[in-house]
Amino acid sequence: MAREQPNVGDLLPLLETSDLHQLEEIRGLINEQLSTERGSMLLNGLVDYFLETNSAQAMHILSSVREPHDKHLLDKMNECMTKQACRLPTLTLLGHVIRKQPSWIHKIARYPLLLSLLKCLKTDTDVVVLITGVLVLITLLPMIPQAGKQHLWEYFDIFGRLASWNLKNPGHVSEVYLIHLHASVYSLFHRLYGMYPCNFVSYLRSHYSMKENMETFEEVVKPMLEHVRIHPELVTGTKDHELDPTRWKRYEIHDIVIECAKVSLDPKEASCEEGYSCSLNIIQIMLFVSLQNSACELNSSCGGKDPLWSPSSLCGMATPPSSRGMSPNLELSHSSSHLPSRFHCTSGDTFQPILQWVIVLSRIVMIVIHLELFQTGYHLMCLSFVAAITEELLKITEENQELPGLRGFDSPFYHTTETLTGCQAPEKTLPNIHGGAGGGAGGAAPGLEQTWSFTPIDHHLHRSPSAPDDDVGKYGMFSPSPCSKTPPAPIPYESFFDLALPRAASLFVGKKTTEAVHKADGEEEGLMSASPLEVLDRLVQQGSDAHDKVLKRLPLPSKSADWTHFGGSAPLDELHTLRSQLLLLHNQLLYERYKREQHAVRNRRLLRRIINATALEEQNNAMKDQLNLQSVDITSLRESLQVEQQRYRQLWDDRETVVTRLHSQIRQLQQGRDDYYTKNQELQSKLQECQKRMDELEAELQRANNKICHTGHLLNQMTIKLSNSESTQQQMSFLNKQLLLLGEAHKLSMQELHHAGPDNTKEAQMLQVSYRKEVETLRQSLLVQGQKLEAAQQRVAELETLLTKKEHLIAEQKKFLEDVKCQAKAELQASDSRYQAQRRITQLLQTELLQLYSRVEMEAPAENEEADTRPLHDSPHGNGSTLSPGQPKASNSSKVTANSINGGQDLAPPLLVEPSSLSYPHADAPLTVGSYPSAKSFLGMRARELFRNKSESQCDEEQPPPPRLAGLAHGLKTELCVEAPCTGQTAPALAPVCPTPFPVPPPPLPSTATTPVTVPSKEPASEPKQRASSQESPRRKAGAGSGGGRGQAGSGRPRQQQLKIMDYNETHHEHS
Amino acid sequence: MADDPQRNFRSAYYEKVGFRGVEEKKSLEILLKDNPLDVEKLSTFSQRFPLPSMYRIHVWKVLLGIQPPHSDSHALVGGYRKEQYQDVLEALEVMRYISASTPSTHVYLRMFQLESQVLPRCSETSPPDEENEDFLSISRAMEEIVDDPIDCYWLIKCFVNQFHSKFGDSLPHLPKSLEHYLSQEEPRLLNHLKNTGALAQLPYSLWFRRCFAGCLPESSLQRVWDKVISGSCKILVFVALEILLSYKLVLMGINRPEGVVKFLCNIPQENTDAIVTKAIDLWHKYCGTPMHAV
Repeated sequence: MAREQPNVGDLLPLLETSDLHQLEEIRGLINEQLSTERGSMLLNGLVDYFLETNSAQAMHILSSVREPHDKHLLDKMNECMTKQACRLPTLTLLGHVIRKQPSWIHKIARYPLLLSLLKCLKTDTDVVVLITGVLVLITLLPMIPQAGKQHLWEYFDIFGRLASWNLKNPGHVSEVYLIHLHASVYSLFHRLYGMYPCNFVSYLRSHYSMKENMETFEEVVKPMLEHVRIHPELVTGTKDHELDPTRWKRYEIHDIVIECAKVSLDPKEASCEEGYSCSLNIIQIMLFVSLQNSACELNSSCGGKDPLWSPSSLCGMATPPSSRGMSPNLELSHSSSHLPSRFHCTSGDTFQPILQWVIVLSRIVMIVIHLELFQTGYHLMCLSFVAAITEELLKITEENQELPGLRGFDSPFYHTTETLTGCQAPEKTLPNIHGGAGGGAGGAAPGLEQTWSFTPIDHHLHRSPSAPDDDVGKYGMFSPSPCSKTPPAPIPYESFFDLALPRAASLFVGKKTTEAVHKADGEEEGLMSASPLEVLDRLVQQGSDAHDKVLKRLPLPSKSADWTHFGGSAPLDELHTLRSQLLLLHNQLLYERYKREQHAVRNRRLLRRIINATALEEQNNAMKDQLNLQSVDITSLRESLQVEQQRYRQLWDDRETVVTRLHSQIRQLQQGRDDYYTKNQELQSKLQECQKRMDELEAELQRANNKICHTGHLLNQMTIKLSNSESTQQQMSFLNKQLLLLGEAHKLSMQELHHAGPDNTKEAQMLQVSYRKEVETLRQSLLVQGQKLEAAQQRVAELETLLTKKEHLIAEQKKFLEDVKCQAKAELQASDSRYQAQRRITQLLQTELLQLYSRVEMEAPAENEEADTRPLHDSPHGNGSTLSPGQPKASNSSKVTANSINGGQDLAPPLLVEPSSLSYPHADAPLTVGSYPSAKSFLGMRARELFRNKSESQCDEEQPPPPRLAGLAHGLKTELCVEAPCTGQTAPALAPVCPTPFPVPPPPLPSTATTPVTVPSKEPASEPKQRASSQESPRRKAGAGSGGGRGQAGSGRPRQQQLKIMDYNETHHEHS
Repeated sequence: MADDPQRNFRSAYYEKVGFRGVEEKKSLEILLKDNPLDVEKLSTFSQRFPLPSMYRIHVWKVLLGIQPPHSDSHALVGGYRKEQYQDVLEALEVMRYISASTPSTHVYLRMFQLESQVLPRCSETSPPDEENEDFLSISRAMEEIVDDPIDCYWLIKCFVNQFHSKFGDSLPHLPKSLEHYLSQEEPRLLNHLKNTGALAQLPYSLWFRRCFAGCLPESSLQRVWDKVISGSCKILVFVALEILLSYKLVLMGINRPEGVVKFLCNIPQENTDAIVTKAIDLWHKYCGTPMHAV
């Protein structure tokens, strides 16, 4: 790589070679190098080389540099910008690069190059640099619209500086430059106004409101303002909005250019498709107004010159075979071909035809705009089209194309102007010649210069004292339009061709209308409206014409002497001026070419759209056809549907008849089947009978079999018995034999005994033997006794251990008993305290009640007297009613009845004494826990359980919740009738409730006495038991009723167990 | 106890080194695990050590007999207590002694009066006398300590009952005893009090009848009451003594007996914990640590 580096550097001069093949190779080499290497060396070399030699090849390579090198390139250019000498070529290079529109161009806003460019524009005094820079800036602006936010005011400052330059001319540069400068400032004005109208206008407002700038405004800016229409953004937009980057996002570069062109009224600055939208209307209005004046004249001039002319002929010819693909054109041409015919027959009328004219014209304008697009985009197509129009037109267009061809300008801008002015160019030379001749006659080169410097600001440039006044008038003569001086060429179509062009038409009409005014008022006003570009054009044209003339007149070898001959000023200076002028022209040219390219891009896009639209339209037509076809299909299908429906109906009817027939068949078959069923059932019943019989027979068979078996078994037994009896008979015979033998032996021994006599020794022996035997038996018994003793001892030991165990158990039991006692005691204490509290409450309530009674008594003493006698009769009834729980309210009715209860009946003690009397049974109640029989019975059971090591399941049985004492309290609270329960607690609870269960098996009882009911129901109704329970129950009941009882106090024993305890007690009673 | 595997073997040495109350919670838990709770042991424990606050209410309830020693019957007895409370409360409401707006301490007072049969007639209710005020201030303090109103009422009731039944006789002798101990600890202060005549006017009722309720903040008060409930009224004397000793300098500066009384009735609430701790130490010093086996 490093080895190759110098090689490539050396190759650079070879770029200028004339050998195309070698050039291609070198270029390929350099490009390859650039694509492989990332360093800036080669690029810098290229730039330096370009700056030195201004080589077109180097420029070509540089302007197509790709992404990683853009930074180096821009940095390098920035570096070069700082050097005064290199500034111009650098700017030129930058212009080339920018016009190439590389993909990285948007990055330029971030590099210092842009800043240095702006700085250069603000500070530099070299006009050529400035103009080049401004053109670069104008080209650059649409590419970096969002960068305007930072640099906007710098742009404006540049504009202000350069605008005032024209007027003040600080560098005292040649006026020629000033024209160029003015033209470029004019373009900058359009660009800035088009892109940032609000900000720009506000800048203008602020900048030119200052006194010292007023003059500049009047002379420079105001004429420029005349060439723009009001920007829509000025109405709808704001300053901030137009700087918003999102606004620019939907625009491409050429969109921005066209946007800027749209607000321009100057065809030279901005020739564009304005005719599409609003400007078409403007043209129509202009035409409408102006044609009123000039239509007759036009008709007479045009129609008069060629009576055979008709718009249809023009339009018919305006449809070249090459553009047949463009259906809109065709349609338009068709429509326009028959409209004018209508107009033609009514041409005598004034107003109607004008309107139609306008329509026709607008259509022609549309067509021509399309044509124009082709002209701009595809120049060759344009040429062929123009050639195809007509022979007369061909002549003119050839003339038209000649000049652009000569000048190398293809832009629509030039083209349109040339369509207007091109034909007059030959005539224009005439006054030029006059001027030149005049100047030549005057023998003054400044005269020629003055001709060139013919601008709107001309008057201020007339500082050269040598210029005579009449000269100005003479030069001004041809300034508005040569047409005014020389009548339009007698070519019949030309005027209409001009009319067909929107821009040109308006201008043409404008000129026509202003012609008279111009003639009358002089040329001054016309000068004001001429745009700087137009002036520049003329300058160039004049310059070139003059140059040609002069060159023609002068012999070539004496060219160097020309300058001295004409001017007298230093030839070098002149040469320099001309060179820079050439440069400027070239720049201008490049700028315009760039603009043309933008248009071309746009045109291509629009063409694509048109093609798309036509394609869609055709698609649409095809679809419509298809639709028609399908609708036809649908109708045919509908018909066939009807036929099918009919057939279907017929088939349905057929089916119906078949179905009915089949149904009848089915019915018949079902009947047959039913018959078979009944028969089958009969047969089955028969079968069952047979089976029954079979079963019976089988049972009989089995019985018989059983009998057989039984008899067989008996037979076997009998055979066994038989064999047994046989064997016993045998034994018997054997024993009989033995008996006989023993009897014989006995006889023999008896005989022997008789014979032997008494023998002592034998007896002693026998005694001894028996004695020994006896000793033996005694010994054995002794042994047995010893063993028995041992067993008994063991048994004793066992029993003793058992005893200790039991004692231990008993101790444990006692401890447990103690524990349980403690627990019960604690619980009892708790419940007792509850009971005490309850008693206190009751007591308090009673006192409260008494107090209330006494108050009632006090309040109604009179009534009391009367009522006193009556209750005495009712008292027994009243008493009964208080006792029965059914009507407790009766006693509550008055104090008198209460009195009658208390006083009349001695059954209940006085209320105040009551609590104390109440307390006795309940105070006893806790003691019953500890009392022997019940406790013993319970604890005995418990002990028994423990002894048996039983599980305590019995103890853990769920106990029903003890009846609430709160119930009583609630009763007391809710009903004020305290007497019933209170009095009932002492006597009635003992007396009337207890007897009830006993006499008869229990009827439904009063609600409270539940326990007494269960007691008898559990036990059989035997006399002594009843008595026992009657002895037991009152005490329990008293306890239960007051809530202080053992069971309900929750000592932990369920009621069932209580009953068991009772049982035990009863049995105990019975036993004792 | 040292061989009990559940206990830390270091526990025997903690006290020797000076750490107190390290193993107390654990030993109390062991005590509370017994099924018939040993009330004797519990009271000894309570006398010797401060009670952990999480077990305090429970221990008090057992010591005051609100809960029986058998844990099996706790639920049952608790139910009884609750019912009794509700019955009495409802009765009072029915008789319009109390309403929803009555402050709870007054409710407790009425309930207590009802249960002790000294409830005046509804129409004859008089402003609370000295005894009722004692009750009210005790109940105010207890209310702060206990959240549940039922527990609170029972604790108040049983506390007051126990206090009167146990120490009712010895209460009049307490001022004498205070004088005695003060003469031993700080005879100069005693002389000063005697000379100014403040000795006879000391707030004995606040100290000995209300058991410092309203005098000490509840956090300190409950530690004093631990001792009272577990059966010692002497502690009251030592708390009073310690109060006098702590504010000796202030008291020496006051010459008027009214000033002394006023100051002692509203002693600053800051370092009462320290006072109580010192008082307990003093009490242990004079009366000896109850050396029941824990």
